[in-house]
Amino acid sequence: MKGVLRSIVQRLTGGSGEYSITVPVMDGALKPNNYLDRLPAVGALEEPDNLVSDGVTAYLTSGPTLYRVDQLGAMTATARETASVTCLALSPSGALAIGLATGGLRILGGRHDGKVFGIDDRARIGAPTAAVFADDDTLIVCNGSAVNPATEWRRDLLGLGRTGCVVKVDLAGGAASTIADRLAWPSGVSLAGGGAVVVSEAWRHQLINLRLDGTAGRVTLADLPAYPGRIAAAAGGGYWLSLFAVRSQLQEFVLREPRYRREMMASIDPKYWIAPSLSSGKSFKEPLQAGGVIWLGIHNPWAPTRSYGLVARLDEQLQPVWSAHSRADGERHGITSVAELAGRALVTARGSNELLAMDHAELEEPLDLHIQAEAAR
Amino acid sequence: MEALERLYFRYFPEKILGEVLTKRWSDNAVPVFATLLVIGYFLFQNPHFFTFSSMVETSRQLSEFSLVVVAMGIVLLAGGLDLSVGSVFALANITALICMNLLGWPVWASVLATLTVGGLCGAINGFLIGYLRIRAFLTTLVTLIIIRSIVDIIILRYAVQISAGFPESDLWFFLGEGSILGMPVSFLVAVIVVGLWHVVLTRARAGWHISAVGGGRRSAYNAGLDVKFTVFMTYVWSSLLASLAGLFFAARLNSAGSDTGVGLEIAALTAAVLGGNSLGGGRGSVMKSVLGAIVVLVLTDSMVRVGISGGISSMILGIILLLVVAIDVRWLKNRHKILNKVYVSPAYFRLADLPETDAGSGSPYALNDRLKDVTLIGRGEIEGPEDVIFDRSDNLYCPNRHGDIIRFLAPDYKRWEVFAHIGGHPLGMAFDAAENLNVCIGGMGLYRISPDRTVSKLTDETKRTLLSVIDDSRLKLADDLDIAPDGRIFFSEATIRYDMHDWATDALESRGNGRLICYDPRDGSTQTILRDLQFPNGVCMAGDGQSFLFAETWGCRINRYWFDGPKKGTCEPVIGNLPGYPDNINRASDGNFWVALVGMRTPALDLMLRMPSVRKRMAKRVAQDEWLFPNINTGCVLKFGQTGEILESYWDLGGKNHPMVTSMREHKGYLYLGGLYNDRIGRLKLPNADPLWTSQTFYWGDKP
Repeated sequence: MKGVLRSIVQRLTGGSGEYSITVPVMDGALKPNNYLDRLPAVGALEEPDNLVSDGVTAYLTSGPTLYRVDQLGAMTATARETASVTCLALSPSGALAIGLATGGLRILGGRHDGKVFGIDDRARIGAPTAAVFADDDTLIVCNGSAVNPATEWRRDLLGLGRTGCVVKVDLAGGAASTIADRLAWPSGVSLAGGGAVVVSEAWRHQLINLRLDGTAGRVTLADLPAYPGRIAAAAGGGYWLSLFAVRSQLQEFVLREPRYRREMMASIDPKYWIAPSLSSGKSFKEPLQAGGVIWLGIHNPWAPTRSYGLVARLDEQLQPVWSAHSRADGERHGITSVAELAGRALVTARGSNELLAMDHAELEEPLDLHIQAEAAR
Repeated sequence: MEALERLYFRYFPEKILGEVLTKRWSDNAVPVFATLLVIGYFLFQNPHFFTFSSMVETSRQLSEFSLVVVAMGIVLLAGGLDLSVGSVFALANITALICMNLLGWPVWASVLATLTVGGLCGAINGFLIGYLRIRAFLTTLVTLIIIRSIVDIIILRYAVQISAGFPESDLWFFLGEGSILGMPVSFLVAVIVVGLWHVVLTRARAGWHISAVGGGRRSAYNAGLDVKFTVFMTYVWSSLLASLAGLFFAARLNSAGSDTGVGLEIAALTAAVLGGNSLGGGRGSVMKSVLGAIVVLVLTDSMVRVGISGGISSMILGIILLLVVAIDVRWLKNRHKILNKVYVSPAYFRLADLPETDAGSGSPYALNDRLKDVTLIGRGEIEGPEDVIFDRSDNLYCPNRHGDIIRFLAPDYKRWEVFAHIGGHPLGMAFDAAENLNVCIGGMGLYRISPDRTVSKLTDETKRTLLSVIDDSRLKLADDLDIAPDGRIFFSEATIRYDMHDWATDALESRGNGRLICYDPRDGSTQTILRDLQFPNGVCMAGDGQSFLFAETWGCRINRYWFDGPKKGTCEPVIGNLPGYPDNINRASDGNFWVALVGMRTPALDLMLRMPSVRKRMAKRVAQDEWLFPNINTGCVLKFGQTGEILESYWDLGGKNHPMVTSMREHKGYLYLGGLYNDRIGRLKLPNADPLWTSQTFYWGDKP
């Protein structure tokens, strides 16, 4: 009763609480810059997605193909899956767990080589979005949604998906146990030490800390201005958080307009939905917002945009210290993962189909973070 | 659901609410309502409350009180405050009584003396506040006390003599008790004074200066107004009006009571603010003051009559003052927010399915790269060339957003000059038979530039639509024009609800806000010929001397209108359901027409056009920069035939050269492209076009 009353009040008072369409501003550690646009690209490939590394070797997925990346950034195709790869994890001993767009995960290498998990109806992992090995025998998997496959993340967002879960799989026995469920598209996971993992919950714009024994988790970083994706531990302490798209007022508004949302999903090609995207400006049928109008040849960097590039460097307590951006006028959008290799951080920019290299991987903010592109040249 | 929504948005007059709020008189709505409520309440209490004799008596009080309130209103309008009106009122009363009763002066001399004393008090206030810049509140509070003490001293010394004396003057008696045609003299004088002040404040330079100073002191100073003198004069006028009221009071009651005018300043302030005069200055009118005066007077009078004691009625007045001040502050602060929220008033609009545009689809609109080889003219040097046109010597003319017409000199178009400066935002252009350049100017109207660069206004207004709330007689956004063989100029006004800088917001309404207008140079008349069009644009003569083509931008269609001949007055669609938003239309050398699509339709917006309630909520809740917009970052050029079949399309796939195309003009085998938000003009070689063809000779013939 109290909840219903509060909901009515929130709706009537011009939209507060759940009905608010306000989006936090990017400020402080998330202050915009064009750092990503200034990074050198070390490789070009179609839709680079999940990059994982043990510091010596890195693996990268692109569609159904798995690449090995050596220390110079050279890529060699090592495997080809039957469907698009949606997530990748690397065990301490070098085994790979590969999540597939058709659901389930396959182990490649190591002592569990060839095993397949999460495809039977009882414990189906239909949308593996991220995974991490707790040890060689235990895999933690984010299952984005119980209804939509991992590639249909837009549909899940617009369908107000709250059906995701985090699953712990015992590779030896094959048993799977749910650590947390009813999550809004868990899309990234990393070990947090002390028998816990940190998980990004994209549609709730927050990071949560979950204990592996299934006891209650807690929110560690809330009210992000963007949708958080994969998290990777950094060698110098702390984490890399890639945020694959930004939130916008219009988006929040559309999420609260059921009839429009329904009609849009039923009648319009998903490419042209009012939905976040990993790249934009490819077609004139994409929705445009007023601030995005090009004026005298200038596309404003602050313009509202469907896609954005954002990587945040988090400290041990999961609080952002600095962040690298590619704004509305940039190209390096849709950052899906970050991993460190040979002392530098590699970044997958799915919007520009590039693999970027960031020489500065420390927790301290790089000195040239906020200089303008012209000055950098 | 969709049908319901369509009906609601067609018939419910929601748009009017927003338009009313843009009016300054909407501030008066609250006080008028309050007046009716108060009078209604007391009438309901006792139907015999307002008898004729009581009305006459009230009207005498009202005339005195409203003069004081008007005085207060004038000072408030200039951003000041005059608390000394009550004391000045009392001083005027006592001065008049001394002159008449004690000194036995004639009436004219007493009146003159009283007004002089009042004016002097005002001059002291005005000097201290206007020239020495002492705070109005403190200054008038001090003069209130000082003048009040002077009055008290005089009363102490002369009260007995004053009440003993009795002026033997019929004129004096007539001033106080007389009436003309049943109306009290003071009432008539007040009506005249109020009327004069209304004219001064709304029509005269002095009155405008007062509003300007109150609205923004610094801006008024920068605009060259004598701010100090203006402020000075408001206090002089305030005290003069207060002493005029005091004079009537003296003539009416002939009493030297010590409580004359006590608390009058609070009552007057309450009335002025209640009437809708803003405490912050810059917003107010005489009518607002009078309304406020009526409410406060009826209220106090009625309170006395129902037996509420003086203390309590003062308290009620005080509470009302506090309340209206709070409302005033909140209203001023939030008015534009409310306006922003309710002004955009979307209508239901359903477009047919988006036509195919994919490359290789075989559609006439299929994407291609033909605009890739465009060469650029004046890149980075011009801002916003909406249209391009050529004279007979091949010079290129284009408008820019600074209100200039730029001329690029033939043959290479490297050098340019400002051909003429007009102002506004010049948009569509057309040459007439006599080589005059006729230009539609957003924000100004229809102008003509002769070959010797003389700028003259052709028209900037048409007849106001009957029962329209916003005044649509002025041309807000004249957009494009063409000239009939007989010299009549047909032009479009894209929308009557938005200015140039937010023209694209009109797309969110998708209501017919625009119109077609005809200017006839033979008798100088301007006539609206067609209304309720969705952003009419791109007027182009069809070539038969009887009709022209025009585009409805947000309607995504091209129509043909007959202004002469057997089909005179009819309008027929030529092309419907374009994949984008058509802008200017021009003739092509092969007898067909060019049309520019200023932007492309997006499925998301097409869907939202079918849901006006969603757009309304979006306009209310989402920040303006975040609104879903028509995609005006990509455009193309189409060629179509007389019957409306699409012949060719020219696209710029990357959108690098021409993010936006608003117009194109074929000239000697080349196509020239303009864009409202571009900083360049494009030039494209047409492969199969007549290299000698120019629009000018084709339409008007060879030079005589």
